[in-house]
Amino acid sequence: MKTRPSGFGNPWLQLALSVVFVLASELLLKRGASQTADLTSSWSWTGVGGLTSPLVWVAIVLVILSFLSWLYVLKYIPLSIAFPLSRVVDALVPLCSWIFLGEMISTRRWCGIALVIIGLAVVAKPVARMEERL
Amino acid sequence: MSLILILAALITFVVGQLLLKKGMGLTNSARAESFRGRFLFLLISGIAAMTISFFLTLGLLQRFDLSYLYPFQGLSVILIAITAAWALREKLTLQVAIGALLITVGVILVSLS
Repeated sequence: MKTRPSGFGNPWLQLALSVVFVLASELLLKRGASQTADLTSSWSWTGVGGLTSPLVWVAIVLVILSFLSWLYVLKYIPLSIAFPLSRVVDALVPLCSWIFLGEMISTRRWCGIALVIIGLAVVAKPVARMEERL
Repeated sequence: MSLILILAALITFVVGQLLLKKGMGLTNSARAESFRGRFLFLLISGIAAMTISFFLTLGLLQRFDLSYLYPFQGLSVILIAITAAWALREKLTLQVAIGALLITVGVILVSLS
């Protein structure tokens, strides 16, 4: 890792932005895909039918934005560190569903969320130490 | 058939990430100009792989619950950590490997329940 831009160009900020875009797009994609599911069509396995949903198109825009942030992240941060960190989204999706949608979270799911967060901390700790030295 | 599609979506995703990382890594090189053709090739093949993975996933979502499909996406964490070390010669510390494994198990637990 070499010298990097700060402010909006900070790769860690871009990683966070990328995660937020993915979080929103995942929820929209699932809803859009479900609304347009037509399993009788012989082309349904390609998923192209999902394109008739406007929600899928909004999700595609978010995916593109997250992709641009992600490319920028890849320029500066090793993939084996950036990718595990980006999966914070896997703890955020169920947590957001619990906080904002009032969905129930089972004990097993709480354990999973805890493991993801512990795993993130384990990956992030040596990175934070490395950043401090810079 | 569906397991083949799930694995295809996973593999194209991992390969796509590796290609993109390789391509973006070139832009840091002092000789970035001379790598232009290689950079574009890696970027375009990475985007192509990700696009295939995207549509395969969309098709799978129309057929299955997210809670069935998501554990497989969890595997991408440990797969990418290992393949990045192997194919891109990134330094994979024991700590990062353990963290990636914990995240993978966590994602699987989150999506199973």
